[in-house]
Amino acid sequence: MTYDYAVIGGGVIGSAIFNKLVRVGKSCVMLEKNNDVSVGVSKANSGIVHAGFDAPQNSLKAKLNVLGNKMMPKLCEELKVRYKEIGALVVADNNAEIKKLYENGLANGVSGLEIIDNEKLRLLVPKLSNKMTCALYAKNSGIILPYELTIALAEEGVINGGVVELEFEVVKVTRKNNTFSLFSEDGKQVNANYVINASGMYFNNVSKILNAEIYKIIYRKGEYFLLDKCETNLTKHTIFPLPSKISKGVLVTPTIDGNILIGPNSIQKEDYNPETSMVGLKEVKNNAIKNFPNIAFNKNIRNFAGVRTIIGDDFVIEKSKLQTNLINIAGICSPGLSASPAIAEMVVRDLLEIKTPERTMIPRKKIETINNKSLEEVNKLIKKDSNYGVIVCRCEQVSLAEIIQALNSPLKPRSIDAIKRRTRAGMGRCQGSYCLNSVLKTIAIEKNIPIETVTKENKGSEIIIGNIKEIGGDN
Amino acid sequence: MNYDVIIIGGGAAGMASAIESAKLGAKTLLIEKDGKLGGILIQCIHNGFGVKYFKEELTGPEYAHRFETIVAKNDIEVMLNTFVLNVGNDKSVTIINKNGMKILHAKAVVLAMGCREKTAGSISLTGVRPTGIFTAGQIQRMVNILGKMPGKNIVILGSGDIGLIMARRLTFEGAKVEMVIEIMSNTSGSARNVQQCLIDFDIPLHFNTTITRVVGKNRVEGIYYAKVDEKFNVIDSSEKFLKCDCILLSVGLIPDNSVISQLALSRITNGAMVDEYRETTIEGIFACGNVLHVHDLVDNVTEEAIIAGKNAALYSQQKLIKGKKYNIFSGNGVRYNIPNTVYNGSGEVEVFFRATEKFIKHSIAVKSGEIIIAKKFVPSIIPGTMQSIKIDKSKIDNDIEISIQL
Repeated sequence: MTYDYAVIGGGVIGSAIFNKLVRVGKSCVMLEKNNDVSVGVSKANSGIVHAGFDAPQNSLKAKLNVLGNKMMPKLCEELKVRYKEIGALVVADNNAEIKKLYENGLANGVSGLEIIDNEKLRLLVPKLSNKMTCALYAKNSGIILPYELTIALAEEGVINGGVVELEFEVVKVTRKNNTFSLFSEDGKQVNANYVINASGMYFNNVSKILNAEIYKIIYRKGEYFLLDKCETNLTKHTIFPLPSKISKGVLVTPTIDGNILIGPNSIQKEDYNPETSMVGLKEVKNNAIKNFPNIAFNKNIRNFAGVRTIIGDDFVIEKSKLQTNLINIAGICSPGLSASPAIAEMVVRDLLEIKTPERTMIPRKKIETINNKSLEEVNKLIKKDSNYGVIVCRCEQVSLAEIIQALNSPLKPRSIDAIKRRTRAGMGRCQGSYCLNSVLKTIAIEKNIPIETVTKENKGSEIIIGNIKEIGGDN
Repeated sequence: MNYDVIIIGGGAAGMASAIESAKLGAKTLLIEKDGKLGGILIQCIHNGFGVKYFKEELTGPEYAHRFETIVAKNDIEVMLNTFVLNVGNDKSVTIINKNGMKILHAKAVVLAMGCREKTAGSISLTGVRPTGIFTAGQIQRMVNILGKMPGKNIVILGSGDIGLIMARRLTFEGAKVEMVIEIMSNTSGSARNVQQCLIDFDIPLHFNTTITRVVGKNRVEGIYYAKVDEKFNVIDSSEKFLKCDCILLSVGLIPDNSVISQLALSRITNGAMVDEYRETTIEGIFACGNVLHVHDLVDNVTEEAIIAGKNAALYSQQKLIKGKKYNIFSGNGVRYNIPNTVYNGSGEVEVFFRATEKFIKHSIAVKSGEIIIAKKFVPSIIPGTMQSIKIDKSKIDNDIEISIQL
């Protein structure tokens, strides 16, 4: 068969476009080289749906951020994705820069902006450094889990007839009568009339194969700390310093699940290797304590790094000039997550000029969790499925029933980390030191595969390498 | 459902507590999340357990089995495969298992949940995060319970006893342990384990050294490691690369009090503050074993659990009568002490503590106000080994300080 559209790249942008195309009734396939969606740039970022006050005026970034921010609450409700509009504050020690930012925000069409004085700032952020005396308060700023959104977008697409091909790395492309034939390394083939390249960090690699535009991409790495939930009272809002020319600065924010996220710095890199460094983490620490002098960094449970891909000053969202029926989406750095629904809207409505209205979609089923449920609700679940009474992840209180549901969810995830992203098993303070072996065993049993083939993420990341006494160490 | 005493955790601490509580006639419930009693002992298949308590060397499962047998002989209700979600200040215990979620009530609760391991995150291990980075406990379960290997060429970060024991275990099972890396200038493991687990197998142990960067794509492909100065700053010029496919983290244990939120915790141990009866700052809630502070010997866990179990039962029977309360503070050379408070009266109380560093030919001194009420000479004190001293309770008439002196 030949699809109407093939989206290359299963990040938040690819998934949003894939979802939108399914919603407007097109046949669509999304190709992802990893064994789950949302494992590149979309996995490791701040998870903020920005209000849009700092994007340069008249840019795509400004327009799509403000629009995306407006679209997000409804989209999340439809997808059953958690979204909290907790508000963001840019804090400073003098009013001048705050005013500029406020005016830039108004010019961008951001609503809900307010300049607040020291007194109100103390009330909103009691643990903030006394040196910060005023702030721009953006009430519409929200938090989201980027992978939760991406997975939901992809899942809803699949439930409604779209196809997601995981472990499909496009290595060869041929064209016949305008139809693209896309080939994977292991010889799988997908045909489509139109291609959207949303491959993020790998845009140029894919574009080369498509004989299309190569951009000068800059990679900027950002590193983070994630604190234990016991530190959740540090702040109820997202706190930014004044933005610089290259980044929004090191933020301190609660996450949807109640952890505290601190980062990122911004280090230019030759490649897109998302690794943390001692120097980088120190930089993040030093910046964060300017706003919060008493952060309990000893309550850190995880460090991670993400990579921004940057092309010039703005997003690249356009039809290819070198190939027909190809759309290039590149340089989607911040505020890409915030803009993602608007980017999908722009691609489908403006670039592809599809006018069909969205159809009624079969709603996505959310995994029923026991966490934060009342005794009666939990007992109802256990009565339905006794595996709800078996706790696998003790830190996040995830039951066996939830793990099994995740394994049978629409994208058929099969790695430890894919299960973690869907259930939170292994995301708590012990970071899986307690539940890894149980999740490992559950995957092997449920998927009926040898335990040696269960991976952390992609092929090559198998947890176990063999039986005891049967392996030999390289000398 | 109502009980006199509910004990949370069926490991070494929980079992000993339950036995003691039941012996005093208290209606006792022992709750364990796994399918059998024993806790972490079950995966500790090496020997060395019970030297003090049973006067013989047992493996972890053997030590657990001895107590399991005694539990079965006593009037103790055991709930297996049952997870405790929450413990309230009112001694309500919210449990969940295949039969449902329930709130149980007790007159006294004993916390015996043990500890959890520090992770790559808690030490901010830098580099990439591929597969192949595991805690000692994860690997211990994988190797000893599942019979599976996590890697071939293994680097161990941290030289605590579990790290050392796993170095030997992994070598026995066919892996090559490349080296053990320790950021401190000494090991917190025992001298016996350094000899029997590392030296006997020619495994190098590098002090004042740490991992600076983990490299690899899907799996760990190697590490960069470097010397650190006395302030733990990395000496860049000393950085070297080592090929390996697995990193075992043995970087410390933390008491796991997650199920109870309003407990006053010690900043040093992360366990509860307790009095001599092992009662916490919440009346009727007791704590013992590794959830209170991390022990080096299971025998000490058992002794502590006997105190907690006995007094929880007495409390439930309204027979726990206390004298006037005094604090015990850690003085020179003492990192922390258990208990944190004592009562005057008759009889003796034993105070346990860990030293801040190594001391040779020093004395342990206990002062009540300005008066020395106990003193003992010790040829050698090391931080890795728990120390103790007995105090005559009739001599206590002021807050107490315990210190190490020449």
